[in-house]
Amino acid sequence: MRVSNKIISDMTKYNLNRISEELNQANLVVATQKRINRLADDPVGLTQVLNMKSSLSNIEQMGRNIAMGKSWLAASESAQRSVQDIVSDVKQLSVQMASATVGSAERQAAGQNVQNMLEEVVALSNTEVNGRYIFAGSKTDAAAYTLNADNSVTYNGDGNAFSVKVGKDATIEVGADGRAIFQPSGAGADDDIFVILADLKTALDGNDVGGIQTALSNLDTFFDHTNSTISDVGSKTLRMEIKDNVLSELDLSTTERLSEIEDAEITEAIMDLKAKEVAYEAALSAAAKVLQLSLMDYM
Amino acid sequence: MSGLGLVLTIAKDALTAQQYGVFVTGQNIANVNTPGYSKQSAVQEARRPAPYGGVYVGRGVETTAIERASDQLIENRVMQQKSDLYSYKQMENYMLAMEGLFNESSGISLSSMFADFWNLWHDLSNNPSGSSERIALYENGDMIAEQFNAVDDSLLQLSTDLTNAMRAGVGRINAITESIAALNNEIVGIETIGSANDLKDQRNVLAGELSEYMDIKIFEQSDGSFTIISQAKGVVLVEGNASYEIELDGSAVEWKGSGGNDVDITNNISTGKLGGWLEMRDEIVAKYRQDISELASEFIWMVNQQHSQGVGLKLVQPGSTVTGTYTTTTTLEALDYGSAGDGYVDYTGTLNLWIGDANGENLNQVAIDLDFAGGDITAASSLADLRDSINAQIAAAGYAGDVTAALSASGDAVVFTAGADDTFGFSSDTSNLLAALGINTFFSGGSAGGIEVNTVIGSDTDYIAAAQIDSTGSYGAGDNTNALAMVDKQYSSTDILRWTYDRINGNTAATENATIEDYYHAMVGALGIQSSSVSRGRSFNEVMVQELTVLRETISSVSLDEEMTELVKYQQAFSAASKLFIAADEMFQELLDMK
Repeated sequence: MRVSNKIISDMTKYNLNRISEELNQANLVVATQKRINRLADDPVGLTQVLNMKSSLSNIEQMGRNIAMGKSWLAASESAQRSVQDIVSDVKQLSVQMASATVGSAERQAAGQNVQNMLEEVVALSNTEVNGRYIFAGSKTDAAAYTLNADNSVTYNGDGNAFSVKVGKDATIEVGADGRAIFQPSGAGADDDIFVILADLKTALDGNDVGGIQTALSNLDTFFDHTNSTISDVGSKTLRMEIKDNVLSELDLSTTERLSEIEDAEITEAIMDLKAKEVAYEAALSAAAKVLQLSLMDYM
Repeated sequence: MSGLGLVLTIAKDALTAQQYGVFVTGQNIANVNTPGYSKQSAVQEARRPAPYGGVYVGRGVETTAIERASDQLIENRVMQQKSDLYSYKQMENYMLAMEGLFNESSGISLSSMFADFWNLWHDLSNNPSGSSERIALYENGDMIAEQFNAVDDSLLQLSTDLTNAMRAGVGRINAITESIAALNNEIVGIETIGSANDLKDQRNVLAGELSEYMDIKIFEQSDGSFTIISQAKGVVLVEGNASYEIELDGSAVEWKGSGGNDVDITNNISTGKLGGWLEMRDEIVAKYRQDISELASEFIWMVNQQHSQGVGLKLVQPGSTVTGTYTTTTTLEALDYGSAGDGYVDYTGTLNLWIGDANGENLNQVAIDLDFAGGDITAASSLADLRDSINAQIAAAGYAGDVTAALSASGDAVVFTAGADDTFGFSSDTSNLLAALGINTFFSGGSAGGIEVNTVIGSDTDYIAAAQIDSTGSYGAGDNTNALAMVDKQYSSTDILRWTYDRINGNTAATENATIEDYYHAMVGALGIQSSSVSRGRSFNEVMVQELTVLRETISSVSLDEEMTELVKYQQAFSAASKLFIAADEMFQELLDMK
């Protein structure tokens, strides 16, 4: 083949251009430590990366939802346990007061005590998390119960328990319709804790032993009911924890897969860069030699 | 002529021939770097012998022609390949700009905005009464709308840039064809007496540049002129000393024939810069602009349809109005989302209008039925029909005047007005009529260019509907029913059109059932695949052009080493011819010295 000066200089330009393009690409990979630096680098991988990033964002959000749900459940459980403690105390007090040896003055004093307990239970029914009443159904901006002057209570909430999203197809109720917890068989029924305490107070004030004994048996019923609502909260907390663990695993594995697709294997990238550097230097020195050759130097 | 005189003549011719050789070599050396120059060489031939004393003796040398080392077939192949290369090169440039619009590695990408949008609905579901959650959601909605607008704007701008590039390109094409026609004229003139080597080289350079702009076919006529036709519909660009112009008529490329018969060749130009620009503008940019608009349209509908089922922290206040954001002056079907077939409006559905007291409490239900006996609403109903039917149904329920439906001042939208002591809200819209009218929606607009956050929400984020009015007419500040339903939309698939734009076979759309994010990710992926195939095409054609160019240069370009050798050759021959003179001179002298 006839090789002219133009061919030599064109080929040199073309090759240097090509190698420096490759060198630049290898350099970009090392600098960003990412395999995919523009859409065209790996469109299929990029689509996977985008999908995984969306999943990760969703997983993180679910994590936040669960953390928030857990704080509601924890507050709910602690409020209900406190109510249960109060119920135990009141039961103990009632057993003492039902005894024939107790006088009316003592019963009246105990009545005051029960009044305080009633107010405490109302306060617990109005437990707040971040300024929101957790036992008021969806009307979380108003106190769930208000205690009237005649010791009756008014429920201000509604029947829609507050829920959080903990998974694609899973929502868990973390708030509650207060009536389901404090008035399980409806307002004014035998197991309505507010009525039990108000009636007990009246019985103590009126020195009515029969009334005290009725209250005692009703307290037992309510205590059993609280056990079941507390265990319900416990099982929801457990569900949340399981979800949380699954999400952490998923977070970790997705992050790993993301890194596998998106991130450059750094040793490989550096080796590649070095190889391209050597090739570029070789091309440069070869070009420098070839371009200098001329017959005129020998004439 | 005979004897020693012949020797002198031979010496003279030899000197002349070697001088020609040196001229040509000098010309070659001088043009070693001239683009498109073809190496020339002097053709030397021995003169015809003549009888002398019974034998035929040679009569020296003559230079018969100066030839140009060129192979027009290979020149044409190079041009054709360059035509492909330049089409890809231009597309690659614009592809890079397009990739930038969908740059997903940066923080401000639609993909991460979508993820944030759903996450903010999660946050709102966790704290439905929170004003910071509401403001954050509004801001994010606004950002998504702006990003859609920006992408749409930029794609439109790209399209305009491409048309402008074409305008400049067409100007250049016309200048080139004119010059080629002029060169044709000169070459034909010179070729009758000699060879127009340098002009032919010039013409090849121009033809090469022309092929960078569009795909051409070159025919060399026997008189030496070029006839150039375009592959697009075979229109003639140059013939003899005449050239035909092409021009840009709006966005169409037209060939101007003689006698004013224009031919539209827009869709037939496939290679060269012009082909690249056209393919980019009419197939790629147009397709993605349409796709992103389809996505925006379905995203708007998906969000609005759910949003219109809910209620904000408060009802529409006493005396206030709500105006629909979608307009029609004819039938309901003409609304952006008014058709019954695409899963938009169900003209047999129902919805509940709730009318409350001045404080937004004690809600009373008015069931609105689109099949209402006193005013059936169909796709062919007008807004006025709709207004009358709704007012009749409110009156039938006994609440006439508490909420009134009317038409806007321009008559193309529905307006609901609350009475002075009344408030209202909606629930359970199985007809999707509210979303189609643009009442109680999150977004307004129906395309990537038109999407905006509904101004009702912009002016008061309390109207973001996280709650729903339940069947008893109760709604709570802490209710997150609608927010939870909205959150589920991120997982639900919907039918979205994906377009294929083809200049020759027309544009077609296929329905894709995907979530908003999946569709967008697939779209970005498709753009990446297209971009990488353009880059591959560019580098493949670069190699091809390089190889063909080497082939061309092997034949045509100047080698200095070769020319130096030639120079020495002619120099030595010149010296020898000079010696011939001396020898002949001495021989004459000897003859003259004889007495």
